[in-house]
Amino acid sequence: MAWKKAKKIINSETITALSVLAAGIFVAMMFNWPIPGGTSLHFVGGALSGIIIGPWLAFFVYVMVLTTQAIVFHDGGITTLGANIFNMGIVDVVVGYAIYKLVTRAMGNTRRARIIGAFLGGWLGLAVAGTMAGIEIGLSPSFPYGIKITVPAMAIWHTLLGVIEGIITAFVIDYLYERKSPLIEIAMKVAPLAQNT
Amino acid sequence: MSLFERYKNTIKILTILIIISPLFGIVLAEKVNYHEPVDVVAEKLHLHELDIYHTPFDNYEVPGLPPTIGYIVAGFIGIGVILGVGALLAKRLSK
Repeated sequence: MAWKKAKKIINSETITALSVLAAGIFVAMMFNWPIPGGTSLHFVGGALSGIIIGPWLAFFVYVMVLTTQAIVFHDGGITTLGANIFNMGIVDVVVGYAIYKLVTRAMGNTRRARIIGAFLGGWLGLAVAGTMAGIEIGLSPSFPYGIKITVPAMAIWHTLLGVIEGIITAFVIDYLYERKSPLIEIAMKVAPLAQNT
Repeated sequence: MSLFERYKNTIKILTILIIISPLFGIVLAEKVNYHEPVDVVAEKLHLHELDIYHTPFDNYEVPGLPPTIGYIVAGFIGIGVILGVGALLAKRLSK
């Protein structure tokens, strides 16, 4: 479905932007901030990708990033690749993008609205994606604990850490707009496609 | 003009980020004795990783290089693969 929607706007320019964004997300994920107590935090960027190039193309950003991580670096794993693409490339992207659009429609396309929309999109996109991962882990037959344990564990952590994701998303969106990045030119071109779907 | 010419500044920023990335991915991780939470749970449950495929740079390590340098090289390999695939697709579409 993403391909059917995205192919209307796929050309060498959008593919180049998509791969630059994918490279950025790949590098951001290498910044694994260990948190004493056993967990870690890294930027996921689903909302950021959805806001910049729209949800249909953003899906392919995660196909590129997560497949490279799994095939070249054994990171994430091949058997969980589908679930990872679903959580980050669909759930996080769509939730983050939808919240950003709701906020910018309600407040107008101002700098303030973009910052608030990107913050909420980044935060809640990650919270929902983390909750979804909790449901998947809880339903997995390999995992003896059910969703009553896995969902709260994943949802609470991702909702807390998602605040930082929101702050970074807002900062990057504001920076790209203020610097008139070429990525924003692409965002302007793909916006009508995303809105018509 | 090269496909990525417009993104020269972005690629410069990514290069700097890759160079400092081992501070987080390796140095801090060792300081707090970090292990991937899912791996810790799997170990406690006596689950074993399926040995179904091998990758050239497991866990961002490059054979023969110290972990920090390997992490940096792995970062460049990663963005090289992604931008390379992007460039191939873009060239194909521009024909």
